[in-house]
Amino acid sequence: MDGKIRNWLSSQPIRIKVLVFGIIMSIIPLLLTSYYYYSNVKADLENRILANQKLVIQNLSSEIELEFNQTFRQLQMATTLKQQGKQQSIFYDLLQQNESIEEIVITDDAGYIQKKVSRYNLNIPLKNEKWFSDSFWSDFQSKSKTYGKVEFNQFGQPIVKVMIPFIEDGKQKGIGAIIQLQKIIGKISSLRQEDSSYLYLLDKDGKVIAHQDYSQLWKKHPYPADRDVLGVQTKISDLGWTLVMEQPASTAYEPINHMFRNGLYVAAIATIIVSLISVYAGLYFTTPIIYLEKGMNNLKTGRKPAPILLNRQDELGKLAESFNEMSSELQEKSLRLEQEKERLSVVVDGIEAGLALVTKDYKVTWMNPLLQIWIHNQDVHLPCFTLLGGKKEACEDCPITCPELDANGNSIMKTKGENGEERIFNHRVFPLNHAMNGEGEFLIVIEDITEQKQIEEKMIQTDKLTALGLMASSFAHEVNNPLATINVFAEDLIDRLEQKDTELDEEEMALYLAKIKENTERCKRITSNLLNFSRKSNWTVTHIDVNETITNSIHLVESTLKKKQIKLTTELPHDLPVLFGDSLKMMQVIVNLINNAIDAVEKAGQLMITAKVEQNSVCIQVIDNGYGIAPEVLGKIFDPFYTTKPVGKGTGLGLSVCYGIIEEFGGTIQVESIEAAGTTVTVRIPIKKSEWE
Amino acid sequence: MKTKWYFFILIIIIVSVLLNNFINHREDTPTKIGVIMMGNSRVEKLTGLKKGIRELGYKEDAIEYVVKNALDNEKTLNEKIDELIKEKPALIVTMGGIETLALKEKMEEQKVKIPVVFAGVAAPKEIGIIKDYRSPGGFFTGINNYHTSLSGKRLELLHQLVPSAKRFFVLYDKENKVSVLSLENTIDAAKSLALPVIPVNISDPKFTEFLSGNIQQDDALLMVPGFRMESLTEKIAKIIKENKIPAMGVYGNEVEEGILASYGSSFEEQGYQAARYVSRILQGNSPADLPVELPDTIHFFINTKVKDELGIELNSEITNLAEFIKPDREGAK
Repeated sequence: MDGKIRNWLSSQPIRIKVLVFGIIMSIIPLLLTSYYYYSNVKADLENRILANQKLVIQNLSSEIELEFNQTFRQLQMATTLKQQGKQQSIFYDLLQQNESIEEIVITDDAGYIQKKVSRYNLNIPLKNEKWFSDSFWSDFQSKSKTYGKVEFNQFGQPIVKVMIPFIEDGKQKGIGAIIQLQKIIGKISSLRQEDSSYLYLLDKDGKVIAHQDYSQLWKKHPYPADRDVLGVQTKISDLGWTLVMEQPASTAYEPINHMFRNGLYVAAIATIIVSLISVYAGLYFTTPIIYLEKGMNNLKTGRKPAPILLNRQDELGKLAESFNEMSSELQEKSLRLEQEKERLSVVVDGIEAGLALVTKDYKVTWMNPLLQIWIHNQDVHLPCFTLLGGKKEACEDCPITCPELDANGNSIMKTKGENGEERIFNHRVFPLNHAMNGEGEFLIVIEDITEQKQIEEKMIQTDKLTALGLMASSFAHEVNNPLATINVFAEDLIDRLEQKDTELDEEEMALYLAKIKENTERCKRITSNLLNFSRKSNWTVTHIDVNETITNSIHLVESTLKKKQIKLTTELPHDLPVLFGDSLKMMQVIVNLINNAIDAVEKAGQLMITAKVEQNSVCIQVIDNGYGIAPEVLGKIFDPFYTTKPVGKGTGLGLSVCYGIIEEFGGTIQVESIEAAGTTVTVRIPIKKSEWE
Repeated sequence: MKTKWYFFILIIIIVSVLLNNFINHREDTPTKIGVIMMGNSRVEKLTGLKKGIRELGYKEDAIEYVVKNALDNEKTLNEKIDELIKEKPALIVTMGGIETLALKEKMEEQKVKIPVVFAGVAAPKEIGIIKDYRSPGGFFTGINNYHTSLSGKRLELLHQLVPSAKRFFVLYDKENKVSVLSLENTIDAAKSLALPVIPVNISDPKFTEFLSGNIQQDDALLMVPGFRMESLTEKIAKIIKENKIPAMGVYGNEVEEGILASYGSSFEEQGYQAARYVSRILQGNSPADLPVELPDTIHFFINTKVKDELGIELNSEITNLAEFIKPDREGAK
């Protein structure tokens, strides 16, 4: 029960609690005070009532004794007057004086009625009508005044016979009367002041022989045992009876009950007033809280709450003010967040890249629509390395596997497209610092770079062909010289054979053939080098001998250098480490850089190519003393199709392609130039530790 | 939520009103008490009843008396009883034996259960209104005015009062059960007293002529209870006066109207005594459990003026019991 009340109270809003508190605090003191006074006053009242009743009942018992004594005196007097011959007159006078007397008799010495005067019946005694019971007769013989037992007349009314003896003609006769007890009770009842109490008489056996309330006289059980009364009783010694006075507790305590009821009334009014005050107080204190609660609910459901306007400066007023500010700020931030979300959504949905959130356990928790299309809506429950990379184990260079890695796991993936064509993807992983645990702590960005790669390849090839085109005359001249030499030696040999020159011996013929072979090989090397350079190939990883690559590159431009009389110097140490990558691509870079340098220098200019190891990188520098690059142009030189060369001399792709290839190597390319002094291009390609060792 | 507060305040108001009513014990609707009487001669009983009710602490506006008076017409009595029953009173007070008997018959006929207090009926047990004096049983209780049993005593008192009387005409109502019982009681007493009695039926329209034709000197007249007797009091007094004979009645009012003496309880006291029963029944007691009471007081009235007119001597021994009417002229005891 207690728990239920507590649960009920805890589930109620504050205003109910304030109300309950107010009511309890008003009622309990009132009730305690009322109870205290009620108990004390009640006890005091009870004592006063009992004291008063004792006083009254003693007086009343004396009245009963007096009544009987007076009857005896009247009877005594009647005997005296009887002897004067006024018997009947005296008896009627007695009946008139004493209403409780029903009948008066004179008995002879044998106890028979000799004479009687009755109030209700005829005055004629029956023949030999006896008036005494045996015990009554016995008492009469020995006592001066005798009481009979309580009897009931024909109408059930209690009566008692009294008798005194007198001597007439020498014989003991008796004069007696029948007394109606109800009349006596009625008479003494009228002497009392208190109406609510009642009187009754008990005989020696405790039987009710007279009762103020006539109806109670006949009840078998006039009062229930548990009746709540205040009562006193006293013995009437002569008669052996007990006179009882009782007052029902309900009427005895009526004054205090009346007072208590009035107290309750006052308590009820006080409760109502306090309840109303409690209601007001509850509303006063809780209304702002209700407003705040409503505002919070509105905020929770995304609706804009109306500002809470409270004309008060207390804590609740300040709280409402803070709430208004917070609500406004929250609204603004929510709006911005929505905007950001919208933008992000547009970006995420519109971006040409696949995005995925991945947990530390490689579980993919979210993918953008493009990525879902790319992976053909495969089972997303697979780990990311299986789902995206088709691998059975996690990638070693992935930041998820190795969080200490600084890199973002940049890698190229290749998969087969819907039509079986090869697709190339760039894959990057970014750790998210504020992600919820288990919701994806890493963002994977996947870009389809297939087209980009194809364009790059085309650009490289275009650039290569452009370079070849530009170098074509040099190549022709380079090939033409050995061919002319072969032609001269071949014609001379043919002439001398036709002329049958005898001086042409085998030794000389062998010399001629050796020259032809030497020039043929030279042509072959040139065309081979040219073919090799012009070959269109994908990125092929091989061991790169840096010196050899540089040398081969120089061979390609050798004729141009000679043509422009450019002095080439190289510093190529022999202990350069082997690099990994596509040597042709590197050769293309070096050829491009040399060609740019050739274009930049005047005739008889100088060109220097160096290679060295520098901080885990192979550093290749192409230095010229040409006219340099203007500072305002320097920032644009890597842009595709940007060129300062005259029309027909450049495509604007050279440095752009070089940049792309060097980036493919994971290296850097840096251009430093001073106008009219020369340019230094520095290429740094990182050496992998394993390669270095 | 506002509804909750309105509901709360409403409950507080209702509780306050109920509490207020409880404390003040307001009884806006007065208790309806039906009164049925045969004629105007019994109005004094109503006066006594009202006095008793008032003295028992009931406020005037707490009780509404619905009084139906048959104006001495027996045929009207039943109609009046029907009217009264339709009023659905909390209880009915009957002013005499004939009203009580008629009401009992109607209630049994209509199966109505209303407590009834009879304000003075002579021999209620003998005429079948109650089963027993101690436990009346049904819906009826009240005052046994003892007037039937006192009939013999009246004859004795009349004889003692006027010892010169030799013959006694006993006026009774043959159609009234109480009156017939009283006559029987009188005849029994007359036998014991060895006095000659001549019954005269007052329901016989020629009874006055009979009396006038038969009354002689030293005759006396005894009236026994009966409602018709009450309504004929004036007529009988006239006969008495014309014939100059001593007579003994039942009520004080008869003595006032010219009867020499009466012995019985007064109408007003019977009504007053009946008020106690009304109060007990209103307090929730059942009439079946309220024993029938005898009258508190029996009065012996003597009209001294009539005595003087008759020119007779009264036995001085017995006058000690009497109360005299017109004491200013004749001197009270």
